[in-house]
Amino acid sequence: MKKYLVFLILMLIVALALAACGGKGGQEGPIKIGALFDLTGPTSDVGTPYANGEKGYVEWLNQKGGINGRKVELIGQDYAYKVDQAEQLYSQYVNQDKVVAFLGWGTGDTEALRGRIAQDKIPFMSASYSINLASPKEAPYNFLVGTSYSDQMVIALKWVMEDAAAKGVQPKVVVFHHDSPFGQSPVPDGQKFADENGIPYTSIAMPKGATDLTPQLTQAQEFGATHIVIQNVSSPAALLAKNAKSLGMDTQIICLNWCADELFVKLAEDASEGVVGVLPFTGDFTVPGAKDAAEFLKSKGDSLENQGLHYLQGWWTAATMIEGIKRTLDAGKDISDGANIKATFEAMKDFSTGDVTSPITFTPEDHRGSDKAKVHQVQGGKWVPITDFMQSRIPLE
Amino acid sequence: MESGIFHSSYEKDMALRHTPIEKARLALVILFLLVFPFVADNYWLNLANTIGVVAIGAIGLNILTGFTGQISLGQGAFLAVGAYTAALMSIHMGAPMWLTIPAGAITTAIIGAIFGIPSLRLKGLYLAIATLAAQEIIIWVITHWDAVTGGVDALNTKNYLWFGDDHHFFTEFQFYWIILALAALVTIASVNIFRTRIGRAFIAIRDQDIAAEVMGINLFKYKMLAFATSSFFVGLAGALIAHWRQIVTWERFTIEVSIFYLAVIIIGGLGSVSGSIYGAIFMVMLPAMLNNLGRALSGVVPGMDAIIPFIQQAVFGVVIILFLIFEPEGINKMWKNIRDYFRLWPFSY
Repeated sequence: MKKYLVFLILMLIVALALAACGGKGGQEGPIKIGALFDLTGPTSDVGTPYANGEKGYVEWLNQKGGINGRKVELIGQDYAYKVDQAEQLYSQYVNQDKVVAFLGWGTGDTEALRGRIAQDKIPFMSASYSINLASPKEAPYNFLVGTSYSDQMVIALKWVMEDAAAKGVQPKVVVFHHDSPFGQSPVPDGQKFADENGIPYTSIAMPKGATDLTPQLTQAQEFGATHIVIQNVSSPAALLAKNAKSLGMDTQIICLNWCADELFVKLAEDASEGVVGVLPFTGDFTVPGAKDAAEFLKSKGDSLENQGLHYLQGWWTAATMIEGIKRTLDAGKDISDGANIKATFEAMKDFSTGDVTSPITFTPEDHRGSDKAKVHQVQGGKWVPITDFMQSRIPLE
Repeated sequence: MESGIFHSSYEKDMALRHTPIEKARLALVILFLLVFPFVADNYWLNLANTIGVVAIGAIGLNILTGFTGQISLGQGAFLAVGAYTAALMSIHMGAPMWLTIPAGAITTAIIGAIFGIPSLRLKGLYLAIATLAAQEIIIWVITHWDAVTGGVDALNTKNYLWFGDDHHFFTEFQFYWIILALAALVTIASVNIFRTRIGRAFIAIRDQDIAAEVMGINLFKYKMLAFATSSFFVGLAGALIAHWRQIVTWERFTIEVSIFYLAVIIIGGLGSVSGSIYGAIFMVMLPAMLNNLGRALSGVVPGMDAIIPFIQQAVFGVVIILFLIFEPEGINKMWKNIRDYFRLWPFSY
C-alpha cells in the first residue's frame, strides 16, 4: 500500500492548501491591492526587480504608517508569465480577497484580463505600455503610468531627426522588434510619423531564440540604415548590438523601454557604449524621486544600483496606484467601488514622481499618464540623460 | 459476499454502470455538480470552468493518443483553430454562440484531419515531429495572416445569442452550465464511441496496426477519422475558451499547451475517458493549490518569500514524476485499485 501513502500525502497537501485560502476584506482593516509578478518565467530577469520595487514601495509606505493610518496589503504571487495562471490568481484576489485595485505585469496577462477588469471595475496598471490599453473606450480600467510604446517610438524618431541633422546625414531607420503584440505595437505608429517626416523606415522581426542576428543586420545594411530602433527585451537587444559591432556597423542603436536597462549594458558589454535609449522611467538615480527607494534599499542592505531602474519603475507604478486610492479616500468616497478610483485618476493632474517620469496626468479621454521621456545614452556603462523631456502624444484611435 | 462482477445478459454486458454502488456514485457526482455552483464563489467557479474546458480538450487528445496510439504535439494549435474560428465568426458575421461553437469544432476537425494525413506513413516519434510541425505552422499562419486573424493582436470575442444581438457578458456561473453541459455531452459521446465499430477499430490500430489492417480495418480511413474526431472535441474546447475568456490571443496556444495536455492524459490515464477528467482536475488544481500553499507559507519562515515561487515550480515537477513512478497508468488506475481494494475488503491482497 506504499503507493497510497504517496496519494494520501498529496491529499494532505491539497487539504492544507484548501484550508489556507479564504478570508474576506471589508471596509476597515488593510487596503488590499492585487499583483502579478513574473519571478520564474521568461521575463523574470526584469520582472523580479519590478516586483521588488512594487513590494518595496508598499513596505516603505507601511513603515511610514500607510494611507492615513491604514496599512496597505499587496497580495501578489508569481505567475510565470502564464496567462492561465494570471487569470486564476486574478479571480482569486478579486473574488476572495476583495482587492480594490490591481498591478499587472506583461502584455499577455494585461490583454487577457482587459475585458474582465472592466466588468469587475478594478483599476489596473501594468508594465505593458501598448497604446491599445490607453483608450478608455477599449480599456476603461487600464491606466498607463509609463509613456506608451508608440509615443516612445515617436520620441526616438524625433531624436533621430535631431541626431541626423547634427551629423549632416539623411536618416534611414530600421526597427527591430520582438515578434509579438508587445514588439509590433509601436511599429505602425512609427511608420506614420516617418512617412509624415520623409524618413525612409522599415521593420524587421527578430526571430525568437535567435543566437545570431547577422542576417537581419545585413538586411538593415542593405537598406542603408543610419539608425536602428529596438523594441525588444534586453538579451536579444544586446545580441543585436554585439552583432552590429562585430560587423563593424557604425549605425546608431536606440533602445525603447524594455531593452534600455542595466541588463542590456551588462550583456552587450562594450558594444553598449554610446547606445541611446528612450527611458520613460529614468536610469539616473540622482533625481529626487529615487531618494526614498535608495534609502529604503540601503536600510535592507541592498542598493538601487544593484536592483536597477526597473525597481524604480515598479516603485512608482505602485506609488501612482496608491496615490489614486489615497485621494479617493481623502475625498470621502468608497474605494470598494472601482468607479470612484477611476474617477479620481481621471481627475489626477501633474502627480510628481520626482523626475523619475514626467508628472503624471490622466484624463477621461486618455489613460496615458505620461507623454514625455528623456533620451538617455550609455556613457561609461551607465544610462545618462542627454536631452530634456521630449514629448509625443499621438492621437488615440 | 460477491467474488466478482458477472454479466448474465447482453443487456448487462453492454451497461456502462454495472453495480448499484457505481450508480450511486454517479448520482452523487451529478448531485455535487448541480449543487456546486450555488455554494462556490467566482474563484472556485473559475477553477471548475477551467477544469471543464481542459477535460473536453483532454478527452479529444486521449481519443487520438490514448485510444488510437497516434501521438500529437499539435493540441495547442488545434485549440487555436477552434478559438479563432469562433472569435472571427462572432466578430465579422455577428454569428451567435450556438453556431460559432459547433463551427469551431467542425473547422478544427477538418484541419486536424488534414494534418493527420502524414500519420499513414509516420509512427511514434516521427509522427510527433510531424504534429509539432502542425503546431508551428498553424501558429505561424495565425500570427502572420493579418488580414484574417488580425496577426499578433488580441481578438475580442462577442457573445451573441442570435444574429444582431447585443454582446452578453456571461458570468462564471452562467458559463459553468454551458461548459458542464458540453463536457457531459462529450463524455457520454466518447464513452459510447468505444462501444462501436469505429472505437474498436481505433483501439485495434493502437494495439497493432498491421494486425488491424489484416482484420479488414481501413487504416487510412480510421486514422483520419481518429484525427477528425479528436480535433472536433479539441476545437470545441478552443471555441469555448474564445467565448468564455472573451479574448483570443495566440499566446494562449503555444507548444507548452500541447505538452500540458499530454501531461493531463498521461497523468489521468491513457486510453480512458474518465482518466482525462481526473487528469484535468489534477493538473488544474495542483498549481492552484501550490499557489495557495505558497501564499500560506510566505511570511511564516522569514526569507522564504523569494524562494517559494521556485519551490512551487519544482514541486509541480516532482509530483508529476512521483505519479509516473508509482502509477504509470495514471489516476484512473489508482482509482480502480482503491475501488477493488475496498470491494473485496477484508479479503483483498
